[in-house]
Amino acid sequence: MGAELGKYKACVSARSTDKEILKHAQDGGIVTSLLGYALDTGIIDGAIVAVNKEFAAKHQSLIMRDNTNWDMVEPWRPFPAVVSTKADLLAAAGTKYNISPNVSMIKEATRSFGLDKVGIVGTPCQMQAVRKLQLYPIGARDVGAAVALAVGIFCMENFPYQSILQLVEDHAAMKMESVKKMEIGKGKFWIYGKRGQVVQLPLKVTHKYEQPGCHVCLDYVANLGDISTGSVGSPDGWSTVFVRSKIGDSVWANAMAAGVFETQPIEKVKPGLELVTKLANEKITKNKNTLEARKTFGVGKALRSPYI
Amino acid sequence: MSKVVEISPTTRHEGHSKLVLKVNDQGIIETGNWCSITPVRGVEKLAVGKTPEQVPKIASRVCGICPIAHNLAATEAMEASIKCEIPKDAKMLRHILQLANRLHSIALHDILILPDLYIPGTEVMINPFTAEEPVRTVAKRIQRLREIGQTVGQIAGGDCIHPRNTRVGGMYRNCSEQAKTKMYDLAKEGLVLAKAQMDFMIAVLRNYQARESVTVGGMKVALPKTLGYHNQGYLATDAFYGSSSLDECPTWDIDRFKEVRPWDWYMGEMEVSLEEPRYPVGGTTKLGTKVNPQMEACTGIPMYDGQPVEVGPRARLVTYKNYDEKGTVGQNIAREMEYTDSLYEMIDCIDALNPDGKVVADYIPDGDGSLGWASNEAPRGTDVHITRVKDWKVQYFSMLVPTTWNFATCSAALTGAPWQLAEVIMRGYDPCVSCATHMIVVDEDNKLVAQKLIQ
Amino acid sequence: MADKITLGYTHLSGCTGCTVALADNYAGLLTLLDRYVDLKYMPTLADVRHVQKVDVSFVEGSCCINDKLAVEELKETREKSTVVVALGGCACYGNITRFSRGGQQNQPQHEAYLPIGDIIKVDVYIPGCAPTPQMIRNVAVMAYLLLKGTKEQKELATAFLKPLMMAAQRGTTACFCELMTEVINQGLCMGCGSCASACPVNAITHEYGKPQGERDLCIKCGACYNQCPRSWFSFDVVENYEAINEAIMAALQ
Ligand SMILES: Cc1cc2nc3c(=O)[nH]c(=O)nc-3n(C[C@H](O)[C@H](O)[C@H](O)COP(=O)(O)OP(=O)(O)OC[C@H]3O[C@@H](n4cnc5c(N)ncnc54)[C@H](O)[C@@H]3O)c2cc1C
Ligand code: SF4
Ligand code: SF4
Ligand code: SF4
Ligand code: SF4
Repeated sequence: MGAELGKYKACVSARSTDKEILKHAQDGGIVTSLLGYALDTGIIDGAIVAVNKEFAAKHQSLIMRDNTNWDMVEPWRPFPAVVSTKADLLAAAGTKYNISPNVSMIKEATRSFGLDKVGIVGTPCQMQAVRKLQLYPIGARDVGAAVALAVGIFCMENFPYQSILQLVEDHAAMKMESVKKMEIGKGKFWIYGKRGQVVQLPLKVTHKYEQPGCHVCLDYVANLGDISTGSVGSPDGWSTVFVRSKIGDSVWANAMAAGVFETQPIEKVKPGLELVTKLANEKITKNKNTLEARKTFGVGKALRSPYI
Repeated sequence: MSKVVEISPTTRHEGHSKLVLKVNDQGIIETGNWCSITPVRGVEKLAVGKTPEQVPKIASRVCGICPIAHNLAATEAMEASIKCEIPKDAKMLRHILQLANRLHSIALHDILILPDLYIPGTEVMINPFTAEEPVRTVAKRIQRLREIGQTVGQIAGGDCIHPRNTRVGGMYRNCSEQAKTKMYDLAKEGLVLAKAQMDFMIAVLRNYQARESVTVGGMKVALPKTLGYHNQGYLATDAFYGSSSLDECPTWDIDRFKEVRPWDWYMGEMEVSLEEPRYPVGGTTKLGTKVNPQMEACTGIPMYDGQPVEVGPRARLVTYKNYDEKGTVGQNIAREMEYTDSLYEMIDCIDALNPDGKVVADYIPDGDGSLGWASNEAPRGTDVHITRVKDWKVQYFSMLVPTTWNFATCSAALTGAPWQLAEVIMRGYDPCVSCATHMIVVDEDNKLVAQKLIQ
Repeated sequence: MADKITLGYTHLSGCTGCTVALADNYAGLLTLLDRYVDLKYMPTLADVRHVQKVDVSFVEGSCCINDKLAVEELKETREKSTVVVALGGCACYGNITRFSRGGQQNQPQHEAYLPIGDIIKVDVYIPGCAPTPQMIRNVAVMAYLLLKGTKEQKELATAFLKPLMMAAQRGTTACFCELMTEVINQGLCMGCGSCASACPVNAITHEYGKPQGERDLCIKCGACYNQCPRSWFSFDVVENYEAINEAIMAALQ
């Protein structure tokens, strides 16, 4: 293979120097710190992130309008929101393992929010969506050039909300309300409770619950982000960071100069790029097989492939 | 002996239309018919049975130059029918959106009429796309003004060609404080440019007016001082926005309105007996071609108190500001005067907007079939939509759009002009023709509406 | 002048919103006309009254098959153009004219409207209502590179235009229903949200992350379907987004 990690100018292991961010972040707080730095320095004037229900209910003017009944919204359901303060960014930190359609806000961000320079965080598929709408802006007038910073997060798979609910409440026998953090790492799905309990589920259990659309996905490390980041490859509390585009390069260099991050060479950390490469290859190979299998899914009938 | 000449299709305006002109030996128009030949997509008919939410989105797509007016008039007609009052900040957003559209539209119209005009003091006719100065600076200013209008519209309305933010009962979203500031900055910038652009256009128009003759396709044509004069009246429902049957004091009375079919009004079958291959670009219709405005026209003829009337910028200025300059130049100058007016008003509306205010009504009724109407002052004039909504379904929908009014008035204004200048007169109306293929008000409605207005 | 491409613009049953979108390239429109495109025929912006022989024709609007003139103009456009581009939802998919059913004065017989691809062969689609100025610009620049560029530029333009050509071959229907049948029903949707942001009438929301289409609002413009990264996606092109964006921006400097 060889292309599994995408194009990049640099790869490091990094974490935020902001203790407050590290307290709330999923891993090294790369996303929150980077967007925060970009806000501070005017690189962006707002960012699209995934907020939780408490934040969303309180700041309804910042989220997408949908049919939500706030009395009924479950914990751990993410909502895409356009935020423009560091406090709000912090409130959005942490991974929510179910779908947050962040790209749904990208046009509105430039409209009723009045943003000229939009930041966005998203999974690899969401980065693909952003780049597609920049090159082929079919329903995205005056949006492409306004995307000032796109931060991609690594992603093996995502889940529908009900899947997470069943994993947490059935398999792990915990209440959704009492979950503090969820994480996939070291071959397990980890659920941390607010009272300190920790449950781990083998990934064998989680596979069935994955969203089917993920099974044709050919990108693990957000090849199309300006900067992409994830936990895999770096020690606990640290993140692996790929600096990919010209924009990414300049933002990262400036953030480093401003002391936003501390870094270690990726070659020096364990498990390092080797594991990232291995997982990326596994994902891509598996999903290429799915795409192949779709060709002969029926009798003389194929399922569609989106790739041309 | 009078001769018949046809210019088809007319250019530099929206949609498809043509001019059929009966001219005397000196080439002066005796009777002029300007009619739409755009196919009738039948929006008024296809609306029946749809939801009041969808119809305004379709109505917007009747015309891409004043989509905002159609969208707002349709939405507000729905609201009038179901008797839904919308929050104040929703109204402000709609006002901003509407003025933004007017700004871009005036600027676009400048591009369309400039090729008829001369650089003052020279014999050079203006090609707005030339890279030469001074025109390039003007073209850039026009495009920047359009950009400002479209961007403000995009913020207030979600999108600027066909707005996305309007809905029955208000608006989907309010603007953020940041968006409000952005609109304000843009409007301020626009004001400076609009002032300069208005002064430039008025100078160019005055220069045109002072000329003895102009050249059309190499033909020297004497320019009458009364170019485009007519004796029809004016109709406007507001200096800026419009009104609806929910308002206390509607300025137009549907009872005084009647419509006749083109059959009763336009000329019947004739044969083209004058052909001018030099007429730009591509010449006029071939000798011997049969023309029949009566049958071909795609619009009806609306009458107010039994006469066609003019709507648009001059009608607004005549009604609300005692403006009185007649003719094509007067009409174009009125439009230029709306440049700064619309920006001053826009700035007031942005000031008044509260970003924290709610923008959707608490309760949106399903409608009981009452007649509701709303007028919106589109860039080119009064746009009235009329509807009945019952149980969240549209039962009846009608659009009385600006260019429909102006077809008949403009036709009257052609009389007395050299035929070569017929398109110049027509362009003074800034016609938006595809919208004009929509309008019908059935006579029996008059009674009901009159009753409602008296109440 | 000689090395520009010639462009025609045929206006059928559309609202001119597509024309406004073209003009909304603002100063970029002037650059396009200065350097790449010679506007030969376009009733709204130019004086020429009849369809001309051109390299590229944009067609706005669907075609009323009960109107002889419209059908003739469309056929003539095909005959006189090397490349025909269906511009906007109406030309590509019918858009709101799909709902037309005639019966309105003064031409009650104007009833049947077809996307132009049902009457002539169309080479490239630019869907959306209105289409975006940037999409029009990108296609104009790419068409220029295709017809006048170097070998590499031709290759780039071919790769870029390919998905839009495939969209034209695919057919004349795309609306929220196609998003359902060809993306969601096919197990391809991953909840990115592009469809909702693309929709010009707010017909799509995301409920529990997945698109919910309000079909009573949908106007059948095809923006959601074509914006969706799981309807079509070209790695060849999108992986090079940076270079392509830069090339387009440089062309307009
Ligand atoms: C579904 C999913 C699967 C993932 N799989 C992997 C994996 O296999 N390997 C790996 O190394 N990393 C994976 N990650 C990434 C990892 O969990 C962290 O998000 C990433 O390392 C960033 O951490 P951070 O501390 O820098 O970010 P933080 O500072 O904590 O910020 C995280 C940002 O991500 C946003 N976000 C949270 N949930 C979502 C969501 N569902 N969709 C879009 N944006 C969201 C938040 O709004 C926040 O801005 C996955 C993330 C998601 C959402
Ligand atoms: S696996 Fe791919 S498709 Fe699924 S959420 Fe992650 S990036 Fe998106
Ligand atoms: S696609 Fe939209 S903007 Fe274009 S002609 Fe049709 S309705 Fe108008
Ligand atoms: S759902 Fe919206 S974007 Fe999709 S076709 Fe319908 S109107 Fe267009
Ligand atoms: S754009 Fe496509 S993949 Fe994304 S949410 Fe919509 S249907 Fe799903």
